[in-house]
Amino acid sequence: MITLESVTKTYKTGTVALKDVSMDISKGEFVFLVGASGAGKSTLMALILREELPDDGRIWVAGRNLANLPRWRVPYLRRNIGCVFQDFRLLPTKTVFENVAFALQVIGRPHHQIEKQVPQVLDLVGLASKAKNMPDELSGGEQQRVAIARAFVNRPLILIADEPTGNLDPSTSKDIVQLLDRINKSGTTVVVATHDANIVDTMRKRVIELDNGEVVRDQNRGVYDVDIDDSSGMSARDLVAHSRGRRG
Amino acid sequence: MSFATKEAGSNLWRNRLMTIAAILTVAISLSLVGAALFLRQGVSNATTEWRHGVNVIVWFHPSSSRTEQSAVGDELTQLTYVKSCTYRTQTYNYDQGKRFFQSLLGSASGAMTPADTPASDQCVLKDPNEAAAISARFTNMPGVLNVSYPSKAIHNMENVTHIAQLSFLIVALILLVSALALIINTIRLAIFSRRKEVSVMKLVGATNWFIRVPFMLEGLVQGLIGALVAIMVVLILNWQLDAASAGNTLSTLYKMRLAGGELAVILVAILLIGIVIGALGSAFAVRRFLDT
Ligand SMILES: Nc1ncnc2c1ncn2[C@@H]1O[C@H](COP(=O)(O)OP(=O)(O)OP(=O)(O)O)[C@@H](O)[C@H]1O
Ligand SMILES: [Mg+2]
Repeated sequence: MITLESVTKTYKTGTVALKDVSMDISKGEFVFLVGASGAGKSTLMALILREELPDDGRIWVAGRNLANLPRWRVPYLRRNIGCVFQDFRLLPTKTVFENVAFALQVIGRPHHQIEKQVPQVLDLVGLASKAKNMPDELSGGEQQRVAIARAFVNRPLILIADEPTGNLDPSTSKDIVQLLDRINKSGTTVVVATHDANIVDTMRKRVIELDNGEVVRDQNRGVYDVDIDDSSGMSARDLVAHSRGRRG
Repeated sequence: MSFATKEAGSNLWRNRLMTIAAILTVAISLSLVGAALFLRQGVSNATTEWRHGVNVIVWFHPSSSRTEQSAVGDELTQLTYVKSCTYRTQTYNYDQGKRFFQSLLGSASGAMTPADTPASDQCVLKDPNEAAAISARFTNMPGVLNVSYPSKAIHNMENVTHIAQLSFLIVALILLVSALALIINTIRLAIFSRRKEVSVMKLVGATNWFIRVPFMLEGLVQGLIGALVAIMVVLILNWQLDAASAGNTLSTLYKMRLAGGELAVILVAILLIGIVIGALGSAFAVRRFLDT
């Protein structure tokens, strides 16, 4: 479903965000993408969404070689990929229902389909009763559920989530990941970039670890952090804790 | 499409101050374009009429004698390049003048009486360019007050209107450029105030055209409304000229009035320029501020 072959990405600023990265994620898999801040997780997501293009290497998503994908086809690629972010990205002036419906509206889906699919997906994420609420009337966890509903309402082949629990407390985070797991069980390929050791360790899914733009670990039924004695004497978890502390 | 029109409408309303500024600038500049075209058409109407009409007028001093006048008249008709001359009495000229001023100022000039008004010989020439020669020959003859030849006046008028037209067009051009800038800016603002929606649309796979169309429509509507206002201005101008020159076949105003066909051409030109400005502005703004 997602294949990277020796992908290198250098930003205009000269930062090498990914170095010779290869991976193969099959249909229906659930993958955690872990690694310290700046390791290149978000860059990988941007490449999958074709927001960025690699300097080198090849990428296939949902059977398409992204290098050969003309610009006008990019929106059609994105209809196969649902996206969830740390900051939810809901529209504050629209209700829960309208936020989810918006995703179908703007790809030209007919009214009757919207009326049918939106309640279904709101039911799936457990927010049927909040359909008429505004986003600022919801808790963080509920807002993230709306975002997931919006990403999933079009039944995409792939769902990618960039630190979906970054703003949530541990128990809410667990609920969110369980929701993603349920979506995965319906056949959707799910990729979650995260700093959250807790959820990775409880789920025991495939874990791909990036460090400084390189894949350093690809482990089935993995955990967040295998204690590596690297030369700096700091584990990945320490690094994360360190960078989080710095951000406040 | 209903999504696009709704979006465009709500964008226009949200930025209504900017929208009104843009529409007004379009309207003013297009009115000036209209006025320039109008002037051009009107003057060319007036001059062709004149060219086919009287070429030279010899004005007689109000106190000149009948013999002096007929001496001049005889000499005129003997000239080979004079086709024909018509004698106009003091009363006739007084009436024409009175009507002309009435139409122009709304009241007749009370200072003039028929006795103060010069009589005249109005001549048609075989070659209008000989008018200057006639002027030179007759100006100093006894009883002659003045020789005027409209070809010179027409020439002057053409020069003046040329300059007026040119300045109208230059000002119109400057205003059109500012109108373009204003349209671009309103759309930029609209894109900015909708950036969250736009980023979600891109994320969930809305096509570029789907995202662009509401903003393009917005620019088009501004150009269109501006053009419609300008069309109204030109129509009112034409109607005013009509009213002002009513019943006076000699007045310049009468001749500047446009026939239906000529007017239609000007109005269509205004409409097209308005649409082009709107489309151009929105295309530029969308390209510059929307595409990643
Ligand atoms: N648009 C950009 N322009 C230039 N450099 C960038 C850009 N985006 C990311 N980078 C750099 O590329 C590297 C990888 O960044 P990326 O955002 O992929 O890391 P990440 O693993 O998602 O980090 P985090 O966990 O903090 O989100 C970093 O050094 C970052 O500074
Ligand atoms: Mg990131």
